[in-house]
Amino acid sequence: MKILALPIEMVSYTDNKGSIKPIRFRMQIGDEPMQVIKIDKVIIKETEKIAGNIMIVYKCQSLFDNVFKLFEIRYEISTCKWILFKV
Amino acid sequence: MSRLIFHVDANSAYLSWEATYRIQQGEQVDLREIPSVVGGNEESRHGIVLTKSIPAKKYNIQTGETLHNARIKCPDIVIVPPRYWLYMQCSAAMNKIFLEYTPNIQRFSVDESFLDFSNMENLYPDYLKLAGDIRERIKKELGFTVNIGISNNKLLAKVASDFKKPDRVHTLFPNEIKSKMWPLAVEDLFMVGRATAPKLHNININTIGDLVNYDLEILKNKFKSHGQLIWNYANGIEFSEVRKSNYIDMKGIGNSTTISFDVDDSDTAHKVLLSLCETVSMRLRDSQNCCNVVSISIRGSDLIFYSRQKKLSVATDSTRRIYEISCYLFDNVWKGNPVRHLGVHITDFCGNEFYQCSLLDNFNYEKDKRINSAVDAIRLKYGSKAVVRSCFLHSGLSSMCGGIGEEDYPLMCSTL
Repeated sequence: MKILALPIEMVSYTDNKGSIKPIRFRMQIGDEPMQVIKIDKVIIKETEKIAGNIMIVYKCQSLFDNVFKLFEIRYEISTCKWILFKV
Repeated sequence: MSRLIFHVDANSAYLSWEATYRIQQGEQVDLREIPSVVGGNEESRHGIVLTKSIPAKKYNIQTGETLHNARIKCPDIVIVPPRYWLYMQCSAAMNKIFLEYTPNIQRFSVDESFLDFSNMENLYPDYLKLAGDIRERIKKELGFTVNIGISNNKLLAKVASDFKKPDRVHTLFPNEIKSKMWPLAVEDLFMVGRATAPKLHNININTIGDLVNYDLEILKNKFKSHGQLIWNYANGIEFSEVRKSNYIDMKGIGNSTTISFDVDDSDTAHKVLLSLCETVSMRLRDSQNCCNVVSISIRGSDLIFYSRQKKLSVATDSTRRIYEISCYLFDNVWKGNPVRHLGVHITDFCGNEFYQCSLLDNFNYEKDKRINSAVDAIRLKYGSKAVVRSCFLHSGLSSMCGGIGEEDYPLMCSTL
C-alpha cells in the first residue's frame, strides 16, 4: 500500500451510540475525473491518538475498476475531515 | 520511608511532536531521521533554533543559535515553524497517560513531568517494569519517545533522565551518585547555567565531583546561598515535594518582547511599552495585587542590555500609571540608540483591597479603576483583541504584547 493522504468527500452513517460507519466517498486524483467509491466492507476499525490527535482508522475493502482493493481511510475528530490515507 | 520519583522528559520534544504529527497527516519523511530544527520566524527576528533533531546534532548545531548559523553548518537543514497548540495537545495526551498510573503529578514544563510513586510498592512492585510500561505506552500510543529518570528525589530523577537519549530508562539512587553523577561536567547540574559555570571553572571546578570535594565555606563566601544550593544538589540533597501545580507565591510579573524592527524614535518605543504594560497590568489585576516597583529593560541593536527601576509612592494596579512610570524611566535612560528588545517588570506586591492615597498625587485612581475593570471584563469575555487603544491602529504593533500566544502554556521554572 502507498500513502496518499488525500482529503475526500464522505457519506457516512452515525448510529445512536455515536459510532460512525463510512458508506461511500468521492475523490479526485490530480486532473482525473471524480470517482465515487462505495465501501463494501470495513475490516478493522481502530482509534489512534498519535501526537494526542485522535483519528479513527478504518481498514476497508472496495471495488476499484473491477478489482478488489484494500485501503485505509481516517477520520480526524478535531477537524471532522476524512482522509484517504493509503491505497 | 524512602520516596520514589520518576522524571519523564520527551526527547527533543518540539521536533518529535512535529514529526509524529506530520507522519499522522501522511508525510513520508520523519523529521527525526534527517537534520532538522524547529525555529522561530526570521522575518520578525525570532529566528533561533528551538529544538534540533539528533542528526542535526552531528553538525554541531546548538539550541539557541541563529537559523542563519545553522544553515551555514548544514546547508540542507529542514527548518519547521513552531506550533504551540500542538505541543499543548501532546503534553496533555502524555499527562492523561500518567494520570492512569498516579494522581501525584507535577507538570514541570510542557515536555517534562515529575511523577510521585512513593508508598506504592504494593501496587507497583517493580519500578523498572513500571517505567518501561509508561515509556512503551507513550511510544506506541502517542508515537514519540521519552526518557525516564528514577530516584528518591526530584533533582536526581531529573539528572537521571538526562543521561543517555533517546527512549531510555535510567536510575540514579543515592548509592549511585558517586559512579553516575560525579564524573559529569558541572554544567549538567540543575541550577548551574551560563553565569555560574564560568565562575566555577575559574576556581578549577569542572565536574560535579570537583564541586562536592570543594570547601563549602569558600563556595558560600563566593556564591552566597546559591553556593550552598548547588553544593547540596551535587550531593543529591533535595527534598521538595511533587507539587500539583508549578504555581509558587508570585514575587514579580514581567513581560518583554523582541521587536520585529529596530525602534529609533521614542514615540514607537512608548507604544511598545504600552502594549507590554497592558498584558502585565492585566495579569497583576487578575492576581489581585498592586505593585510598588516598576522596572524596564532595554536591549539595543548592539545587544547591550540595561535596566532601570523606580519605587512608587502609591501602590498601583493601573495600566496607565505603570505605563507612565515606564515611559518616565525609558526617557531618562534611553540614549537614542536603536532599540531591539524592551521589557517591563513589576515587583514588590501588596493586596489590592485598599490603597494609601498621597496628598501630592492628583491621579484619579477611582476613575481609572473603573475603566480598567471594564476593559478587563470585555477582554476576558471577547478576547484580548476586543478593545484596543486607538494609538495602535495602523501602527503595525500588537496592542497586547508578549507571551507565546497560547493561554496556560506551561513554562519551565527554576525552582524544582
